[in-house]
Amino acid sequence: MLTRDDALKICEVVLAHAKAAGADDAQVSLNSSVESHARFADNRITTSGRAEDLDVTATVWVNRRRGSSTGNLSGVAALQQLAGDATQIARVSPVQREYIQTLGPLEYSADRGFAAASADVDVTARAKALDGVLATCRAAKVTAAGFHSARGLATAAATANGNRRFFQNSRAELSVTARTADGTGSGYFSGDHFDVARLDAQHIAEQAVGKAVRSRRPLPIEPGNYPVILEPQAVSDLIGFFTGAFDARTAEEGRSAFSAKDGKTHRGEAMFSERLNLYSDPMHPELPATPATDEGIPASRLSLVENGVIKNLRYSRYWAQEKQQAPTPGPVNYILESTGAPASMDAMITSMKRGLMISRFWYVRVVDPRTLVLTGLTRDGLWWVENGQIKNPVRNLRFNQSVLAMLAPWNVEAIGPAQRLAPYMVPALKLSSFTFTSTSDAI
Amino acid sequence: MFSRREFIGTSGVLLAGASVPEWADAFQPSVTGDAVRAEVAEAALARAAQLGAAYADIRINRYRRESIATREQQVQSVSRSNSYGFGVRVLVNGAWGFAAANQVEPGAARAAAQQAVAIATASAPLATRKVVLAGADKVVTTWTSAFRRDPFEVPLETKIAFLLKLNQTALVPGVSFVSSQVLFADEQKYFASSEGSRITQRLVRTYPQFTTTAADRATGDFQTRGVVDRAKLLGYEYLEDYPWLADAEKAGHEVVEKLKSKPVSSGRYDIVVDPSQLFLAIHESVGHSTELDRALGYEANMAGTSFLKSTDAGTVRFGSNIVNLVGDRTQPGGLATTGYDDEGVKADRWHIVRDGMFVDWQTTRELAPLVGQAKSHGCLHSDSWASVPFPRMPNVSLQPAATEVTLDNLFADIKRGLFIEGRGVSSIDQQRYNFQFGGAVIREIRDGKLGAMVKDAAYQSRTPDFWASCDGVGGPATYQLWGTSADGKGEPGQTNAVSHGCPPARFRNITILNTAAV
Repeated sequence: MLTRDDALKICEVVLAHAKAAGADDAQVSLNSSVESHARFADNRITTSGRAEDLDVTATVWVNRRRGSSTGNLSGVAALQQLAGDATQIARVSPVQREYIQTLGPLEYSADRGFAAASADVDVTARAKALDGVLATCRAAKVTAAGFHSARGLATAAATANGNRRFFQNSRAELSVTARTADGTGSGYFSGDHFDVARLDAQHIAEQAVGKAVRSRRPLPIEPGNYPVILEPQAVSDLIGFFTGAFDARTAEEGRSAFSAKDGKTHRGEAMFSERLNLYSDPMHPELPATPATDEGIPASRLSLVENGVIKNLRYSRYWAQEKQQAPTPGPVNYILESTGAPASMDAMITSMKRGLMISRFWYVRVVDPRTLVLTGLTRDGLWWVENGQIKNPVRNLRFNQSVLAMLAPWNVEAIGPAQRLAPYMVPALKLSSFTFTSTSDAI
Repeated sequence: MFSRREFIGTSGVLLAGASVPEWADAFQPSVTGDAVRAEVAEAALARAAQLGAAYADIRINRYRRESIATREQQVQSVSRSNSYGFGVRVLVNGAWGFAAANQVEPGAARAAAQQAVAIATASAPLATRKVVLAGADKVVTTWTSAFRRDPFEVPLETKIAFLLKLNQTALVPGVSFVSSQVLFADEQKYFASSEGSRITQRLVRTYPQFTTTAADRATGDFQTRGVVDRAKLLGYEYLEDYPWLADAEKAGHEVVEKLKSKPVSSGRYDIVVDPSQLFLAIHESVGHSTELDRALGYEANMAGTSFLKSTDAGTVRFGSNIVNLVGDRTQPGGLATTGYDDEGVKADRWHIVRDGMFVDWQTTRELAPLVGQAKSHGCLHSDSWASVPFPRMPNVSLQPAATEVTLDNLFADIKRGLFIEGRGVSSIDQQRYNFQFGGAVIREIRDGKLGAMVKDAAYQSRTPDFWASCDGVGGPATYQLWGTSADGKGEPGQTNAVSHGCPPARFRNITILNTAAV
């Protein structure tokens, strides 16, 4: 990974070449990464590797005409070529109607989500941790598959108007799928943190094994509408489709789930449970994020849903200018949480008369962008709950469910404590109704 | 990786005049370029051997891309990218190690070989089943995909004019938005193995796509019609030879009609699936279920396993006896077509399903011996020099009928049916049983005739039931090649471009959902 000085020097060289080539405005962005991983399956390591890379992107404007070029070499000739190539593209491109001047100098908060150990993994220590995972699985007579990954990333950007920024972040994750020998049970659990030392491999393995064993020999179940408890993993599998709808431009252009009649949007409406907040916060202690948006706007706490009301939509720099608003200082991460004291998982189960408890969803896709109806399947743990107790595992189901209706005031019964599943902090949710349309034979 | 010495030595100095860029030089046919790659490869392979690797290979690849994105009558972005680097793979004590870097020079290659060996050595005690590779021929050759016009030689103005004309044509009355993109990709790959293979390949792909949107601002309703799966292993001639403007105009009229169309009634229908949708059903239900690594559990933590067991080849019925599916990395224009795979195995063509019976897997050198086969079918692939090569899908294609069966022939005896074209939502479970697919344009079939468009329809089935219900496939004249350009698999995730050829086909008594009514 490049240091701040080396990264910004590369940016300066490209800027200088862009100016010399005749660019009126320019931005250089750079990513320098180191990634290490190990995969395992069939209770053994299958592949493991390490990769270093760099990418440098020059984006330039000549008379409001835009060109962009990306390369992964840092020699001076390559950087000159990069600037020249971008400028050449700009010269032959039409005027970019949505051009907006690059940013000037801005102050950014210090980043908090980087641990050097994640960028330079000790492969022997990793092998020891994975040996423990595999031993736990063998002892339980389940077959483990999984993935351990750790990555460090340095990002830098510089503009012709004087903006300079440099951030570092890291992420380490471990996920384990345990499958029982008879092929009827499967469990999955994952954890992630920016510091590889904070991954609790043993806990992750034990959770996956427990789910596999408890999901053995599932009983048939009819599709239909059921009350459900979604574990945090299941919520995180859906929530990206929801957060993706918070774009002001598509909503105002009349082509998103937040578009309303007569060219309006649903901003300001109480569409969701009043006990739900959704916000972005780069300084969140459990989920620190880069303190700048992709466009370089300094990030700060941004409320998207407050007490169930759509508080803000995301305005890019261009769309904000069009609509005479300020660009939004995010989102850079998403935290979905209860406005009040969260409910425990035990409380959710004991209060459920009859319904389903869901570990995880798989292959989720948007069926209808107007209502955010999603389809997908349950996977790696689905249980029938009756009179406050988990009774038995059941066969997997396919759902067709609107995520807007899922979070509606009448549907959210209880909200658990939010847990980190980057880029989200999400709670378990207890919901009155969830629509399943067919059964699946898959384990 | 960035060389600090190189940078410090030159920072702040603007070179005057034109210099030959590193990336442009890197793969030009020249004695020097070949010699540099050979030197880097030899350095890595020698170091790996010296450190005890039983097998080693290296891919030194350059990826050049250009993309242009437009909406309505404006250009949103024009971008080019280049990525050049190498990845070394080693086998030590039956365990794999891999290391990759973006400095293509002998010192970095030796360092990466050493890292790869260290990783393999650390992993070996946990690799309880040792990897054994199927035999492969030693190959020293050069291969280039078929194209007539190098897209990177075509002026940018010509490409922009193509997209803006396409947008203008699609913007028929009632269309609110149109977006279009074209991506050109040029892969230049050099492979060397400790067994003596040395293979240089070049692959050129062209990825055009566009989407029309009709929005009713008064009601807040909107519909889209995407044409996004037509990429091929071809050059710029693909944009010149195919009647794109006719497709664009059709997509414009279709989205306007779709916004006004009535919702489908849920129930059971006979369906005819057009190649523009059927390719995706083949991809999801056949392509992925017949990957041997899935059946063996290698992908259990992410993509999933398969409803087929590793012992099922030759014994399990997959579909009706008119269903014939081949794996084919030689198919002209196919996105997964190649000369040699990423471990130097020659591109192959083989039956996966013959007369409805599942007969063979997609394999690599590591996988083939696990089902008693002496040779790999050549399915190893990595999406970058920085990615670990692993089993990826070849083009998997449904064979047409021997005689000329037309679309009208397939409609002929359907009393109540649907004709499904284009990409809609697709979702399938982790063992590839239960799927739900939509379509971009769906029309009723009434008494053998095509009728009005309907919306909000999706078909849902179970893979073995679906293929067992197939009782009609189109003839050779109806066969088309469609493809997906970003098929995800693996951890860390990799993407793969893959095509599926097929005629339209008829399936009986399939469940149709009204997705707006669930």
